Amino acid sequence: MASPSQNKPSAGVMVLLHALLMVFSLSGITSKLAAQHPFLSWGFIFYYGLMVVILGVYAIGWQQVIKRMPLTTAYANRAVTVVWGIVWGALIFHEHISWQKVLGAAIVLVGVALYAIADHSAPEGTQEDPS
Amino acid sequence: MSKTMLPYVLLALGGVLISSISQVMLKKSAGKQYESLLAEYLNPLVFFAYVLFVAATLASTIAYKEVPLSMGPILDATGYIYVTLFGVTIFHERLDRRKLLALCIIILGIVVYAFGV
Repeated sequence: MASPSQNKPSAGVMVLLHALLMVFSLSGITSKLAAQHPFLSWGFIFYYGLMVVILGVYAIGWQQVIKRMPLTTAYANRAVTVVWGIVWGALIFHEHISWQKVLGAAIVLVGVALYAIADHSAPEGTQEDPS
Repeated sequence: MSKTMLPYVLLALGGVLISSISQVMLKKSAGKQYESLLAEYLNPLVFFAYVLFVAATLASTIAYKEVPLSMGPILDATGYIYVTLFGVTIFHERLDRRKLLALCIIILGIVVYAFGV
């Protein structure tokens, strides 16, 4: 893996990262929509295919983003997908938001960010992609 | 969490595990020397890794039949546990104490979340 830039990322790169993470979160919506159709029906194949396309766009974008910012910053910010899951779940699928869900999500978010930071200060070559 | 949801949650968790195994295989492959660019991408290890990746995405999609969308990224966070486990056992990486603490926090968050579903 190429060594990412250790410079503080510009606001533009941060916006790009978060736009990309939002796009990534859309793959959850298409996955959920696919699940509402019978397995391997046209509806399932359409939404599953759309999910694969979104993941492809995300993979390409991610490679570009990590060239421009420290990997740790990118990974720590990825925890925001937990928030997007709750937002899309409530807005599109009318999922109930309880205080336990919000609290649990906030704890997971902190854990993921801490993991990314701990990974950054680990010895060279130990950073992993947990996706 | 309802009894009908539990098997789907387990399927989602299984999907995350399969996805992590796929990542390990890709990393194993990345550490090898190949004769050509074609061999780097078309070899049994990489091919099987992508088969597993597709299986993982199918598992998570089927799991969404019952699992709320908001729970998906929460369950995905278990990937950090597997990656740490594989990192230590297969790639002989050092287990960072802060990483262990972060994993405990992630697990706590998942448990708290599960009580709210």
